[in-house]
Amino acid sequence: MRKITIDAVTRIEGHAKVSIQLDDNGKVANTQLHMTQIRGFEKFTEGRPYYEMPSITARICGICPISHLLAASKACDAIMSVRIPETATLLREILHCGQVVQSHALSFFHLSAPDLLLGMDSDPASRNVLGLLEKFPDIARDGIALRKFGQQVIEGLAKERIHPSWVVPGGVNTPLDPAVRDKILSGLPDAKAIVRRTLKFFKGMLDQFKEEIEHFGNAPSMYAGLVDAAGKLQLYDGGIRFKDADGKIVADHVAGRDYRNFIGEAALANSYLKAPYFKPVGFPDGVYRVGPLARLNVAKNCGTSLADAEFTEFHQRLGKIVPGSFHFHYARLIEALYGLERMEALLNDPAVLGKQIRAHAGVNCLEGVGMIEAPRGILIHHYKVNEEGAITWANLIVATGHNNLAINRSIQQVAQHYVDGNHLQEGMLNRVSAVVRAYDPCFSCSTHASGQIAMHIQLFGAEGSLLDELKSA
Amino acid sequence: MSKVLIIGYGNPLRSDDGFGWHASRLIARELTGHNADVITCHQLTPELAEPLSQCGRAVFVDADAEGEPGEIHWREIQPQAPSSSALTHTCSPAGLLSSAARLYGRCPQAVAVTVTAQSFDFGDSLTPFVSAALSKVVERVVQFACPDELRSESQGM
Repeated sequence: MRKITIDAVTRIEGHAKVSIQLDDNGKVANTQLHMTQIRGFEKFTEGRPYYEMPSITARICGICPISHLLAASKACDAIMSVRIPETATLLREILHCGQVVQSHALSFFHLSAPDLLLGMDSDPASRNVLGLLEKFPDIARDGIALRKFGQQVIEGLAKERIHPSWVVPGGVNTPLDPAVRDKILSGLPDAKAIVRRTLKFFKGMLDQFKEEIEHFGNAPSMYAGLVDAAGKLQLYDGGIRFKDADGKIVADHVAGRDYRNFIGEAALANSYLKAPYFKPVGFPDGVYRVGPLARLNVAKNCGTSLADAEFTEFHQRLGKIVPGSFHFHYARLIEALYGLERMEALLNDPAVLGKQIRAHAGVNCLEGVGMIEAPRGILIHHYKVNEEGAITWANLIVATGHNNLAINRSIQQVAQHYVDGNHLQEGMLNRVSAVVRAYDPCFSCSTHASGQIAMHIQLFGAEGSLLDELKSA
Repeated sequence: MSKVLIIGYGNPLRSDDGFGWHASRLIARELTGHNADVITCHQLTPELAEPLSQCGRAVFVDADAEGEPGEIHWREIQPQAPSSSALTHTCSPAGLLSSAARLYGRCPQAVAVTVTAQSFDFGDSLTPFVSAALSKVVERVVQFACPDELRSESQGM
C-alpha cells in the first residue's frame, strides 16, 4: 500500500491535510481529510460571563466573525429569555446579508475562480487570484467590488469590518443611521448587476466541467438547511429541514434547542474536526451536507424575485435534488443574489430606522442555543451557565463540521477518479484540493485550530514509504 | 493637490508588528480635514488595488525585520507584477501598485516607510526603540501628505 498526503490544502480558510492511500496497483484505496490542530474555544470559555461570548467567539474566524457574533448573541438572548426588538432583528439580518455576500464573493472569485477560469491543470504558481487578475481583469474587478460592497455593509452598520462589537446580547448597540441606509441602498444595483453577469458567465461555462461535475462529490447524502414556516430559504432564523438523498423531508422545523435530538457528533481518528451525523440514521451513514447547495436543495424557494428565477433555473437544469458538490459554486452565486435582494427588502422596511434596538435582562435561563446559517452552512452555539451567568459548558457545531463526512466522501470519489499513483501529476492533486474548496470549508472555525492557510499532499507506497508530495507555500 | 492614501498595516497583537497600525491611527488624526485617506488593516489584500488607483500618491507604513531596532527606512515603490505564489494571503506594495495599474488603469506614486522591529512576540504595545520612532514617522508621513500646509505653518512660527 502507498499513501499520498496533500498538506496543506490551499485557498481554503484554515489548515487541512489530505492523505490518499494507494493499493499495490497504484489505485486509490482510501482517503482521509485531517485537521491537525485544535483551538479549544469550547473549553477555555468556561468560567467567562455569558455576555462576553459574542466578542470571544467572533475571534474564532477573520472571515466569518459576524456569523459567530450572531449565533453567540442568539444563544445569549435565549439565556436572558428575551425577544429582541423588531428593529434589532432587521439590523442583525442586514449585517448577516453583508457577511454572506462578502464571504461568497471571497469563495467564488478569490478562492475558486482561479481553478474555474485558469484551469485545474494550469501552472500552480499563477493559479491564484493574482493570476486571475492578470488574465481576467474584468472578473477580478467584479470580485473585488462585490466583496468590498459586502464589507462596506458590515462596516456601515457595525463600524468595523472584522470583529465588531455592535451585535450584543439582546439586540444591537446603536440604531441605523439613515445616511448609511441610503448609501447601502445606492450600492445595491451595481452589486446585483455583478452577481447577475457572473451567474450568466458561470452558467455558460458549465459544459467545460462535465467531468468534474460528474465526479466532484455527487455521492448520495442527506441535506440540511434552515427554512421558515413556509419552507423558504432562511439565513438568520428558522428551523432545520433535513431531506434525504431523494428529496424527501425526514425532519422539519427543528428548533435550535432541539438540535441534539437530530444531530449526533462523532470523533474521527487523526482529526480534530468533529463529524456530526443525522442521529436517527446513525453514524456513519447519517451523512448530510450543509451550505449553499444543501440550502437550495431543502428550501421550497428563496422568496426574492431574481434569486427565485435563478433557483427555478438551477433545479430545471440540474434536477429537484442537486447532488454534485461542484454546484456549490452555482448555489453560492444564487445565494449572493438572494443576500442582496433580501438586504434591500430589509432596508426598505420602515422599522429598520427604529430606536428600540436592545432588550436588557439578566440570567433567566441556564441554557441557550443560537443557530443561524453561516455562509458555509448551519452554525450552532450552545451554552450552559450557572446562576451568576458564568459559562459552565459550551458546544459549537460549525458548518464545516457538518460537512466533514461528506467532504471525506467527496475526496475519496475525486481521488479514485483522477489520481493515478503510478503517474502522479499536480493537476490530479489540485482536483482533490478543488473539491475541498467547493465546500468553502473554514477549518479555523470548525476545528478551533490556530493555523495558517496551506495544504500538503503526500503519496505513500504500499510499504509505507513516502513516494511523492505536493506542498503549497 | 491630488489625494494621498496612507495604508498602515500589521498585527497590533504582535508587539512591533503593529507599528503600521499604531502609526496610521495617529496619522489619521493629524490629517483630519486634509485631502487624504487613511486605511488601517492587518495585512495587504487585493482589494486595496482599487483605492490605490484613485489616489495620486500613496504611503505604505509597516514594520520591518531587517536592520537595527527602531531604524526608519523610506523608499520609493515601483509597480511590479505580483509574485507567483500558491497562496492569496500575501500581497506586496509593489504588487498592489501593479494590480491597480492592470485593473483600473492607473497607480499612484508610492513610498514605503518601515521601522525595524525588535519583537514580534505576543503583546499589544511597541518596544521602546520602535515606539521612539513612531512620532518621527508620523511627522514625516504627514509632511509627505501635505507639504504645503506644514511649510506655511513653520514659516509662520
